[in-house]
Amino acid sequence: MTVTEEELCRHSDSVNEQLARYGVRFGIYRNGEFHEQLFPFDVIPRVIGHEEFSCLERGLKQRVSALNEFLKDIYSERKIISDGVVAEEFIYSGSGYLAQCDGVSPPKGIYAHISGIDLVQGKNGSWYVLEDNLRIPSGASYPMIARELCMRSIPSEFEGNMAEDNRDYPELLRRTMDFVNTGGHSVILTPGRLNAAYFEHSYFAERTGARLVTCDDLTVENDKLYFIDYSGRKEKVGAVYRRISDEYIDPVNFNRASLIGIPHIFDIYRKGNVALINAPGNGAADDKGIYYFVPRMIKYYLDEEPILQNAPTYLPYYEGDMKYVLENFDSLVIKDVAEAGGYGVVFGNKLSSQEKDNFKSMLKAEPRRFIAQEVIDFRDIDIYEEGRRVPRKADFRAFVLMSDEPVVWKSGLTRFSRNPDSFIVNSSQGGGFKDTWVISK
Amino acid sequence: MSILSFGNSERLFWLGRYSERVYTGIRSFLGRSGTWSSSAEKTCFDDGNNESLYCSLIFAYDNAIVLRDEIGSDTFSYIQMAVYEMNSAKKSPAPLLHLQKVNDNIAAFWGMADDIISDENVRGIIKLGKRIERVDLYARNNAGNDEIRREVRRLTYRIAKTGLHYSRETLEGLNKLAEAESIDRPEIIRKVESLIKFS
Repeated sequence: MTVTEEELCRHSDSVNEQLARYGVRFGIYRNGEFHEQLFPFDVIPRVIGHEEFSCLERGLKQRVSALNEFLKDIYSERKIISDGVVAEEFIYSGSGYLAQCDGVSPPKGIYAHISGIDLVQGKNGSWYVLEDNLRIPSGASYPMIARELCMRSIPSEFEGNMAEDNRDYPELLRRTMDFVNTGGHSVILTPGRLNAAYFEHSYFAERTGARLVTCDDLTVENDKLYFIDYSGRKEKVGAVYRRISDEYIDPVNFNRASLIGIPHIFDIYRKGNVALINAPGNGAADDKGIYYFVPRMIKYYLDEEPILQNAPTYLPYYEGDMKYVLENFDSLVIKDVAEAGGYGVVFGNKLSSQEKDNFKSMLKAEPRRFIAQEVIDFRDIDIYEEGRRVPRKADFRAFVLMSDEPVVWKSGLTRFSRNPDSFIVNSSQGGGFKDTWVISK
Repeated sequence: MSILSFGNSERLFWLGRYSERVYTGIRSFLGRSGTWSSSAEKTCFDDGNNESLYCSLIFAYDNAIVLRDEIGSDTFSYIQMAVYEMNSAKKSPAPLLHLQKVNDNIAAFWGMADDIISDENVRGIIKLGKRIERVDLYARNNAGNDEIRREVRRLTYRIAKTGLHYSRETLEGLNKLAEAESIDRPEIIRKVESLIKFS
């Protein structure tokens, strides 16, 4: 029995009630204050066919493998620079590059353990990569729990629909942690409840069996990392899936003002005594400026043609690109490479004449700070709003987990804009989410 | 047995205490239906008063939400639903009906915790918090001597199953006080409050 449109719409409320029951929220800072809010869920899934996903899967594995090679290279031999494939300035002036990681080899040589690659589908059906998120990509927990709750609320929707079961994410994550574990417990390090993705941290801990910890629970002694339990007993920790930014992870080696890091954890990581997931310094590869070079990296490291295409991108840093950007400003979207979460994104045609002039002056003064992209008129997908189907812009975050080989999770986070006139889908900007079904054959 | 952090042991304890505080507080209102007043309204819903049942429930929630990996999402969900019911009670012309559902959810939370949390220490610490709070509340709220004795016995049975450090001397003193013919309630409160120290 298949579920009718009306039934699906009617069940939308019950699924959202279930999500509320389980406290599926995300945090947001507004005017300096922390607010927790429910993440609006739309019950119509994004469906990706088997063949289509197989192609995405190959492309994603290829892309993440190349990014991992790139990180290995820039923190060791730097061949890609000496061979003139990537401009040095884009690596060493980026906020993600950490000089402290030079010469450091992470356990099993993995820098990008969990990658979130943002894609959009154009109106012609082609997929474009918009962003590589290698530092602390979040979002997998939402479609995972939504699937579970949809199966509870609308069981008939799942009868014979051939969607891959996406509830295996914790197993993939556990395998990723165990593969690089240097001996001892695997833990998930959270900055605490006031982090935007705290639900995800705690849910992954529950589902993987890894202990959720804060900095107060861990200590470095004799070049090893230990968890201190409530009786004072110390248990060795071999892998830390840290949900804390590089600069805060170790106040001795990075930001001295950090109150959420663990002193000397980077020292023992450097010695190979603990795995940090994702590897510190891997943000050097997900800088918006570096994105431009990823197709070149694929050719350089893997000697393959890129399977997935970038959105057409220009670097004002290069004279020719600057000229193009200035001449075609109205048709481009300009992104500040240091921003994330939908912030720092400017559509040229939305600015007043004065604002355009100001922005162009800034672009000329700080060309390394921005990239420009053609606005992809991406395919709308339907959501239910007040009982009717309406089209909205949506993107797709695919997750790639690296252990002995890269594995693409057969699902993903589909985020949509609730504003009909907006391309911005980020949850922090009011967007909602959908489950993503990958058809098994 | 899994590993449990110091911080989480303290949170589990307070989750037990605050959930009991709300439960026993609501039971006292349900036991005298028809006497709802502005003072009852304040005792229940004043969000600016840390002693109100509303604030106690929020404190229970604040502990529960950071214990998802210890207690599980299903167990946590009953505290979450208790909060939703408390918010409904605040706005309702018939608050007691919603408060009854708050207690239904707290009872379900305890049942779920008992049933599905596999770590004996984790289970034991929540229950210990509940037992300590109950002795304290009964001593404060003029419960009968037999009720206090029963709760002290249950507390004594529970405390050894938690792995927490406690004062044996204080526990013995508490039992002696409870078994006396005339119960010294202020002393019971003092002793039960000093039984477990986390700092």
